[in-house]
Amino acid sequence: MKKITIGGIGSVLLGDDGVGPYVAGMLEAGYRFSEGVTVADMGTPGLDLVAHLSGIDALILIDSVSNGAPPGTVTLYRKGDILRHGPAPVRMDPHSPALSESLLIAELAGEGPEDVLLIGITGEQYESGTGLSLAAEQACAQAINEVLAELERLGSSYTKLRGETFSAWWKPMAEPIPAAAAEQMTTALER
Amino acid sequence: MSRTITIDPITRIEGHLRIDVEVENYAVSNAWASCTMWRGIETILRGRDPRDAWMFTQRFCGVCTTVHAMASVRAVEDALKLPVPANAQYIRNLILIAHALHDHIVHFYQLSALDWVDILQIPKADSAAASKLAETISPWTRNSWNELKVAQDKVKAVAASGQLGIFQNGYWGHPAMRLSPEVNLIAFAHYVQALEYQRKALQVVGMLGAKTPHVQNLLVGGVANAIDLDNQSALTMDKLEQIRVLLGEVTDFISQVYLVDVCAVAAMYPEWFRIGSGVTNYLAVPDLPLDSNAGAYDLPGGVIMRGEISGVQAFKTASDPVFRESVTEDVTHAYYQGEKPLHPWEGETEPQFTGWDGEKKYSWVKSPRYKGQPMQVGPLSQVLIGYAQGHPLTKKYADLALGQVSAIAKVHATPAMMHSTLGRHAARAIRAAMLAELADKHWQLLVENIAKGDLTVHNQPVFPSGEVEGVGTHEAPRGTLSHWIVIRSGKIKNYQAVVPSTWNASPRDESGAHGPYEASLLHTPLARPEEPLEVLRTVHSFDPCMACACHTFDPSGRPIAQVRVL
Repeated sequence: MKKITIGGIGSVLLGDDGVGPYVAGMLEAGYRFSEGVTVADMGTPGLDLVAHLSGIDALILIDSVSNGAPPGTVTLYRKGDILRHGPAPVRMDPHSPALSESLLIAELAGEGPEDVLLIGITGEQYESGTGLSLAAEQACAQAINEVLAELERLGSSYTKLRGETFSAWWKPMAEPIPAAAAEQMTTALER
Repeated sequence: MSRTITIDPITRIEGHLRIDVEVENYAVSNAWASCTMWRGIETILRGRDPRDAWMFTQRFCGVCTTVHAMASVRAVEDALKLPVPANAQYIRNLILIAHALHDHIVHFYQLSALDWVDILQIPKADSAAASKLAETISPWTRNSWNELKVAQDKVKAVAASGQLGIFQNGYWGHPAMRLSPEVNLIAFAHYVQALEYQRKALQVVGMLGAKTPHVQNLLVGGVANAIDLDNQSALTMDKLEQIRVLLGEVTDFISQVYLVDVCAVAAMYPEWFRIGSGVTNYLAVPDLPLDSNAGAYDLPGGVIMRGEISGVQAFKTASDPVFRESVTEDVTHAYYQGEKPLHPWEGETEPQFTGWDGEKKYSWVKSPRYKGQPMQVGPLSQVLIGYAQGHPLTKKYADLALGQVSAIAKVHATPAMMHSTLGRHAARAIRAAMLAELADKHWQLLVENIAKGDLTVHNQPVFPSGEVEGVGTHEAPRGTLSHWIVIRSGKIKNYQAVVPSTWNASPRDESGAHGPYEASLLHTPLARPEEPLEVLRTVHSFDPCMACACHTFDPSGRPIAQVRVL
């Protein structure tokens, strides 16, 4: 059994920077993965990412990037791409220094993942606010397909759940806000 | 002739801090600390349900997640005068302690040790001698020759590959690096081991908070953890035992490795007990409440002004009336509109960007002041304030650490030496040792309270129709954090977070007084101004984390610690 971590990276309070956690939420709500696969909304962990890398075989990250491509473009980066230029390689904001540093530190400790895939979604706006741009929102489906393709490549299976949709608690005010989420939290605790 | 050095950005976590220093005759003659970007995250909270605020504030910073969640629920509880059940206090305290232990370990080993430890000296070390040395100063079982040889081989492999990897940004071979190859090796072996123990501490946060890095178990009025010692889906005795084991392992690492290493490194650089003092006004708030009405705390708080330890003033509660009334934020040198300092409940954040001008406005960080004075916050403040009050646990570990430094350095280390760069590192290790001991105490308090039959974890909040104000404080790993909330008819009217790094990184105020980072850098000697390692040492000793101080990210992905000499 391969241990695989799928992580959404970014701040849900800064516009398209929240696209990683959004995709993680969609994956968690819409799919059932095989044993050993973990899906996590990692937020903006900086160097704390190292804690997620221990003992895993493969890492799949979804993050916003600013690489000059049109908003909503999905670009794939492998471990070599991330580490090639040292701490600040392909301008994968805002966490690229911590991403490459975390991988290097984990490697030093002899516990880094063999396979790394970063699925980068080019963002359009990073203003303070909790919504995604249309371009980023539309790119989520492609990002999910890339995650699933990577899982297949790694020999891990999954099932799509019917009728399960994801509703982000951090959505803008114009839309209904879930209540204090006590129920959600109790469910999470029981899991 | 003076020249200016700009270091931008300096922090290794989500860095957006810029430091400008003027250098004359190989010493810092003037300094400016600034934050390079800003986004008004607090405005997202206006109009929302106060019960949800903690889920948003937890996202202020990806590293200090739980601390912002905790300060937020406490702010609402303070506004509602809502007591928190004893079980919930203990569960929260255990989360706060575990998070802080993780944070302090990472800060020393991963974020600042390499300011003092020269990686490229390690291949020259005699690993057997290093093991012998380490075993004379600590009972730690992982200082064996084999363990140290494995660590040394890692560094040799990295050095031989020609790719320095994680180490490519260090100032190796700098004249201010002075440890022997053996001590460098011991410290590096612990750098690698630290990764394991910080993760164990995080596991505790995850087990109690349901998830990490974002805990899910908080509620205004308590926690959502169901307690049922026999039900596998709730908090069981089995889970509690696992938590105790993990905390025990982390405690051993702190008392036998972290505290020992800090004392040993400090003893090799005794001059750094005289460098980096700066602002000697200290502020800390009481934390780790012992009962549901927060009438007593395990961490003392208060204020020391102008370094006068005998004049310490204690805070009785975490939202002490004196504290509530004394905090203002000044924007004279920050990129905001506004004439006079404002209390956080009246706080405004209207940006007015004018470009960096050291004489006028130069930072996105406001200048928080206590009775108009700049204050240093962080473990050093807490340790000095506790020591000054004769707090037994603080005295126990502070005296132990000072004794170890004295023995190794053959000097008489006194509390007065703590007003310094090394004092900040020592205080953080002292605080970690205190917290590790308190982890066991609060674990027992929780188990005993449950054994008495008390399973309550939550009191329901009720919102009045008018306007209420509250402040929620937390003595976080980087110091005093306060969230200030105004609630009108059950909705958030205003929300301001005054975070530790704002206190420490603040720019000058209307009277021209430097903020703590700035003041601490004055007179710092620089052996090689083009490689300002000494500036990094002092700034890193504060454990800067600017992500929440200015609520932002840096989109340019600039290299870390880019240094420009003008």
